[in-house]
Amino acid sequence: MATTLFDVRKSAIHRLNPVTKLIALLAIIVTVFAIPLWWVAGLIVVLVVAPAAVISGSGGRLLSLSLKILIPIILVLFIVQGLTFPGGKTVIWEWGIIDITTEGLMFALGIGSRIIVLVLASILLVLTTHPGDLMSALTERGMSPKFAYIISSTLQLIPAFRERADSILLAQQARGLSLKGSPVRRVKVMLPLLSPLVLGMFTDVEERSTAMEARAFGSTAKRTSLIPVPDTLVQRIARWLFVVLALAAVATPIALGLL
Amino acid sequence: MDVSFDEVSFTYPSGVEAVKRVSLDIPSGQRFAIVGQNGAGKTTLVRHLNGIFQPTSGTVHVGDWTTTGHTIAELSARVGYVFQNPDEQLFARKVIDDVAFGPKNLGFEPDRAEALVAAALERTGLTAEAQTHPHHLSLSERKRVALAAVLAMDTPVVVLDEPTTGQDEHGVRMIASIVQSLEFQGRTVIAITHDMDFCAENFERVVAMAQGEILADGTPADVFAQDAVLDTARVEAPQLARLADALGWTNRPLTVDSFVDALPAHRQ
Amino acid sequence: MIDLTDVSYAYPDTDRFVLSHINLNVPAGTVAGIVGASGSGKTTLAKIISGFVPHVDGGQLEGTVVVDGATVADVTLAEAVSHVGLVIQSPFNQISGAKFTVREELAFGLENLGVAREEMAERVAEVAELLGITSLLERSPYALSGGQQQLVAIASMIIMRTPVLVMDEPTSQLDPGGTRMVFDVMSSLRDTGITLVIFEHKLEHLREHADVIHVLADHQLIASGPARSMLADPRLEEWGIGSTRFTTAARAARDRGLLAKNVELPVSLQDAVPLFEEFDAKRGA
Repeated sequence: MATTLFDVRKSAIHRLNPVTKLIALLAIIVTVFAIPLWWVAGLIVVLVVAPAAVISGSGGRLLSLSLKILIPIILVLFIVQGLTFPGGKTVIWEWGIIDITTEGLMFALGIGSRIIVLVLASILLVLTTHPGDLMSALTERGMSPKFAYIISSTLQLIPAFRERADSILLAQQARGLSLKGSPVRRVKVMLPLLSPLVLGMFTDVEERSTAMEARAFGSTAKRTSLIPVPDTLVQRIARWLFVVLALAAVATPIALGLL
Repeated sequence: MDVSFDEVSFTYPSGVEAVKRVSLDIPSGQRFAIVGQNGAGKTTLVRHLNGIFQPTSGTVHVGDWTTTGHTIAELSARVGYVFQNPDEQLFARKVIDDVAFGPKNLGFEPDRAEALVAAALERTGLTAEAQTHPHHLSLSERKRVALAAVLAMDTPVVVLDEPTTGQDEHGVRMIASIVQSLEFQGRTVIAITHDMDFCAENFERVVAMAQGEILADGTPADVFAQDAVLDTARVEAPQLARLADALGWTNRPLTVDSFVDALPAHRQ
Repeated sequence: MIDLTDVSYAYPDTDRFVLSHINLNVPAGTVAGIVGASGSGKTTLAKIISGFVPHVDGGQLEGTVVVDGATVADVTLAEAVSHVGLVIQSPFNQISGAKFTVREELAFGLENLGVAREEMAERVAEVAELLGITSLLERSPYALSGGQQQLVAIASMIIMRTPVLVMDEPTSQLDPGGTRMVFDVMSSLRDTGITLVIFEHKLEHLREHADVIHVLADHQLIASGPARSMLADPRLEEWGIGSTRFTTAARAARDRGLLAKNVELPVSLQDAVPLFEEFDAKRGA
């Protein structure tokens, strides 16, 4: 049962402090959205994301996951913007009432390149950072443990409940329920069966909160963490550098009068 | 209805080999129990009977059917399966509706279905709770609702996965008497249990499993006499068999009556 | 260590008391076993002793509950749980969901208390060893079987080292080997001075490991006594609790004149062996 996308490896990228990676990701996103030039996004992919992916050893999974998400988005983006961009004047191809304009394609390229960076960098973070480590690192920096709990438990409990839903459906088939027929019929048959799952979830939440309180979840003590979150001076400096770079990226277009 | 496993092996997608070349013939009307520690492959094995699992190799027969040729829903007309966790099985708002779900799926005539449902509730002591929401019942009662739901399907084979866990004395006795009456009706009963006294008193044949293999197969008296097997399967003999053993008796009575009957012969 | 005085309780929105006029005293460093048929109020009593009633469940609680010197109703839940730990019935719900490995799951409660890292690591290793789950430490708590989850749930409470530990059917999903181990662990905890309250159906184990047995029936604490005499009491049949085969067989043998009329009935194997010594083949030989 895979509970997360985390790709278990021990590369230098995996070993970075999760907060360093998170700030790097945010800095990248701020930069590409602040600077409206598609080749800046391209450079970030080539100079930052791709090398990081290669070092992490998770490049293959990054590529296959990102392509699944990106291909439909990019296709739709280029078709729709190419055809309908309101400021489109330079027609490069037309057929009947349909015409594709250069302005439309350039606009799509601008948006598309940012989406590509966003998706690639985010997935790389998810692949190389265990959610548990990210939560510990953020809790250490003052994030509410209750909020961290909500994130971690959602990641874990969704697969657990999906497994329970599968068991419930199996149990009903074992009582003669046939799941043959159209998808609509199947959904109609299956939905009422999942009511124990929903009901059970409420009981579970109640019981689980009891169990959590018994383990001092309501304690006001300063929390500690079993697993140390690795950090280095270099990373601390790097994090400030990322913040400065992101701020510079926001300031540059204004200074150059691009906006 | 007789069932059989012929050289059945099963490997999970994770690569864990849960059942290894198991062959068993269980004749019609037998009360058959499987014992062994958690993870021995007991549940994986019996889940082949209603097609939840299909063997990685080997064949499973239920009457004249081979399970590979039939869906879970089709097999449910022959094999009733009571899951260990009732919360995976119960879904209706009223106990009676839940119990009626199986007979309805199997297409029984309304009169027959109604009679079966009423009888199943009666047998499990739940007649008074027919209109109750299963959610408002205790775990041991919900386990009995799950049992009633399968009894009402009137299947020739009934599989019980740890029926006595969480039951108090009253519940265990009720389940024991149901097992006995199923046999009386000529139905095959296959149970997994950790309760060796329940096993020894109510089943005529016991199989001990460990690591996906069968270690011993025989009457309770046979199986509970083999110390090496019990050790490997990590199960204990029934209470009075352990007492007889501690007293140095060569035979091991399994029930209160047989123990007390044997006392005079052992008086010094 | 635990003192319940005239405790009655009704869940919210009802006037029906699921427990009425309970008086219970458990001395420090002892194991109390509580038996009762389904629906006799065992789970509710477990929650009362550990402070979840009335702190979480609300409802109408009468009488006083004092645990480890603290009047449970007067302290916060966070303080109550520092005196008493509770192992709930469902291991699935005891798993926090916050942690991705068993190792971290076991440390969860200690992290909340702010225990130093080195000490946490030691206590995790120790409790894992105690319950035989060292080989599971790197697994996801959700990738375990029900029995394994139950051991993790028990370990996750033991690690808190509360002076009082309440366990609600802690062996329901375990096989005979696992059950025996958990009861042995309870005995070793008692030896370290911890006070235990165990709600169980497995009478032979209770006989071997509990000092005093309390019986719940009809919403009341109807009888109490030393483990052997209480668990051999014929009234246990009426109360829906039953008896071990050792007790039943000895009773039948006594009624047939094979044992003395005033024989002290056995509950466990250890009780039974000396009782039947005149039928001992090894001695006869």
